Amino acid sequence: MRLELRGITKRFGTLTANDHIDLTVEPGQIHCVLGENGAGKSTLMNVVFGLLHPDDGEILIDGVPQRFANSGDAVRRGIGMVHQHFMLVPVFTVAENVVLGFEPTSRLGRLDRARARQEIRHTSQQFNLEVDPDAIVENLPVGLQQRVEILKALNHDAELLILDEPTAVLTPQEIDALMAIMRSLAASGKSILFISHKLKEVRAISDVVTVIRQGRVVDQVPPTTGESTLASLMVGRDVTLTVSKEAAAPGAPVLELDDVVVRDDRGLAAVDHVSLRVHAGEILALAGVQGNGQTELVEAIVGMRPVESGRITLGGQDVTGATPRSVLDSGLGHIPEDRHRYGLVLSLSVADNLVLNAPRRAPFAHRGTRNLAAVRGNAESLVSRFDIRTTSVQAPLSSLSGGNQQKVIVARELSRPLQVLVASQPTRGLDVGSIEYVHRQIVEQRNEGLAVLIVSSELDEVMALGDRIAVMHAGQITGVVDPSTSRERIGLLMAGATGDGHE
Amino acid sequence: MSTVSRRRTRGIGVFMALLGLVTALGFGLASGSAARSSLTFNPVDLSASAPLHLGTLTLPTAIANLVLGLAMAALGVELLVRVPRRGVMARFGAVALLFFLALLLWAVRTTGPAPINFVNVTAVLVGASALTMVLIFGSLSGVLCERAGVVNIAIEGQFIGGAFIGSMVASTTHDFFFAAVAGGAVGGLLGLVLAFLSLRYLSDQIIVGVVLVTLLSGLSSYLNLQVLTPFPQYNTGNLAPNLPIPLLTKIPVLGPVLFDQSGFFYLMIVLVAAVSYGLFQTRWGLRVRAVGEHPQAAATVGIKVIGVRYANVILGGVVAGLGGVAFMATQGQFQPGYTSGLGYIALAALIFGRWRPSGAVVASIVFGLSLYLSYNLQTFQVPVSTEVLGMVPYLITIAVVSGLIGRVRPPAADGVPYQRD
Ligand SMILES: Nc1ncnc2c1ncn2[C@@H]1O[C@H](COP(=O)(O)OP(=O)(O)O)[C@@H](O)[C@H]1O
Ligand SMILES: [Mg+2]
Repeated sequence: MRLELRGITKRFGTLTANDHIDLTVEPGQIHCVLGENGAGKSTLMNVVFGLLHPDDGEILIDGVPQRFANSGDAVRRGIGMVHQHFMLVPVFTVAENVVLGFEPTSRLGRLDRARARQEIRHTSQQFNLEVDPDAIVENLPVGLQQRVEILKALNHDAELLILDEPTAVLTPQEIDALMAIMRSLAASGKSILFISHKLKEVRAISDVVTVIRQGRVVDQVPPTTGESTLASLMVGRDVTLTVSKEAAAPGAPVLELDDVVVRDDRGLAAVDHVSLRVHAGEILALAGVQGNGQTELVEAIVGMRPVESGRITLGGQDVTGATPRSVLDSGLGHIPEDRHRYGLVLSLSVADNLVLNAPRRAPFAHRGTRNLAAVRGNAESLVSRFDIRTTSVQAPLSSLSGGNQQKVIVARELSRPLQVLVASQPTRGLDVGSIEYVHRQIVEQRNEGLAVLIVSSELDEVMALGDRIAVMHAGQITGVVDPSTSRERIGLLMAGATGDGHE
Repeated sequence: MSTVSRRRTRGIGVFMALLGLVTALGFGLASGSAARSSLTFNPVDLSASAPLHLGTLTLPTAIANLVLGLAMAALGVELLVRVPRRGVMARFGAVALLFFLALLLWAVRTTGPAPINFVNVTAVLVGASALTMVLIFGSLSGVLCERAGVVNIAIEGQFIGGAFIGSMVASTTHDFFFAAVAGGAVGGLLGLVLAFLSLRYLSDQIIVGVVLVTLLSGLSSYLNLQVLTPFPQYNTGNLAPNLPIPLLTKIPVLGPVLFDQSGFFYLMIVLVAAVSYGLFQTRWGLRVRAVGEHPQAAATVGIKVIGVRYANVILGGVVAGLGGVAFMATQGQFQPGYTSGLGYIALAALIFGRWRPSGAVVASIVFGLSLYLSYNLQTFQVPVSTEVLGMVPYLITIAVVSGLIGRVRPPAADGVPYQRD
């Protein structure tokens, strides 16, 4: 299929998420759309898939203009999409998910489950995508769930497959497997639109790269283009891709976890007998695919989730089961994973957010009354010290960009005496400029002797920042390795192969 | 099977085993060896379709209840040990029936030479069946709405509306078919209001539902005062006649309970079967459940999420409206306030029945019986407050919702507004 986009424009209120985008995907081509978070990639794909209606512009398939009332129409025209957040019903079987919307039925609208199963077997054999049609989707590992999404698209005879950031949730080995699938699909004549913000992958897989920035096409380049050129196209200026840091000079252990077990919301052991040590003056990076217990581990350290068994000590003091307040008071700084749910109140001012962790303490309050002058003074000094871009310290936090919101958290947590900094996905959703900034701050703190625990599912970040790398899989630490370890080896650990790595 | 449902099954098992032990000790051994209890099986009104006669059964209370209690405990232990995949609710229903039987045996026990008190098993079941029927209409309405992702708290209001209109139409036309059509239409209209406000304007579904109930109870009291009281001819003589099914009514106990009922009762059975089949075996059901679990996913394959929700909430309203007419037809007329929270208990049955028609039926039977006994146990002069029995549905619901006897998982998008674009 040949897909042509002409002048696609999509606005959300005053924000123009797609601004006259032109793009052509040839049959059998793997076409990559590269752009930072928020560049408008998902919006564009949702327009192509009929989920959003463009305000302007045309979609042509094999030269014929199309009007999609909804994504059912797009599917009927041969477009399939694997969404960034999977569009699978967790409690349904694989077969039910795959046929949903296009169900084979017998009399009385009765679902023909046998035929559904058979269709799926047929498609999975044809494209070499093995999966049990009767498995319940929520019980499948993420990699397999993604396979179900691909199968779903192919089962509806997709000729063009859209993959929106498909690698974000995969281990390096699963990424390799996905790329092999993409290549074989392209070889069989299917067109592929591959969305990513990761330069390595883009260079490895695509035939053509279209770079978009702030909703506009900046350039179309061959995949042989160098990483730094791609990065500067993406960001709009030169960027340094590596973090410069000297060798660590680790001191005594500060944060110690002994045999810690933590349950998740469903009551399962999400953290399964984990022992870790973070020393003063070092960055311990915790790697792993999302959802392997990292979130629960951090919540337990910070006191937001009960510890089932085991011990957590901070500077020699037992903080197992302590409240978040007392954990923070004993010198732990926390940059939470989801800054919109934890750590910030978007409707409060920048100044108030900067004292969220100590609103009742001197000098910000005195005998139960707030000292607004002190709050403002604190905010003004932090805003200039951490270069937070805001119109005023009284502006609501929601008026700041994502990168500046993150800087507010960083500023607040680093502006008080700390022993340990725990940062979860500290750069998720940030533009490259802000990433650099946050990385520099973290390395600086470590140089000044802070113990730092970074949790990240971005392997690049883990390898760039970590002085040691602990890999987590299914609630367990599968290895603690040196940052010079190969990506393949870390990938294997992320997939659960227990290493011989020691502490 | 997921850990959650295993834990739920075990929780229910523990509950059943404990209830069994309490029964064996409290209602059994504590009754003393001299106590006797009598059971009779003939329906109260011996119509032409009376079942085969069964004589009075007199049992030693202590031994009977010891056996019943141990049987209950055994069923509980079986759940704990085997953790079966299916039939958990059916076992729970059986244990609840045994419990009520033991309670009744205990309540009518006597140490005198001749039995002065007895339990008419058939009469109890027939009496409770009216309440159970209404609860089933209500919980089916809930299944239809919530499986599509909209919480319908307004069931109580739809009961009231259906009962009011149903009574007026039945009084004027003397035809329950028209009454059902009118009541269903009122319920459907209220469903439309709920759907419109919560789907179009994304209002909070719970608040809209509560407002609808408040509105309907106020409005019906007002209209009752203004219309039905001055013109009683519009609100009288509306007891639905029984339509006995030949031969089947001859079965002792079950005959009168299941096969000598009004048309509404049979309609309810048909609806249960239809909703069960539709939800789990058809294309329609798959789409409804997809919309209730993950509306975005449904939308990506071209399913019109808002349309499905509208249809189901209106359909649910119709079913609840029919429930209101059915309730009215068991009472013979409309009275303000006489649904007394049945709509909420139906929601409780829905939750305890895990959003499944079959589960809701079992829960409705248990809740219907406990309500019936709470209204009628006074006649036996039991030394416990019978209001406690009226609390049973709520106690069970609290236990379920709080995860005390097995957490339940609602449809993932239940009550969550869906917005296109
Ligand atoms: N439904 C929406 N309503 C309002 N703004 C939106 C919506 N979806 C996306 N946006 C905004 O449009 C921009 C582009 O978002 P998106 O396409 O998701 O970016 P990408 O996928 O490239 O990370 C962002 O600024 C985002 O906040
Ligand atoms: Mg995106």
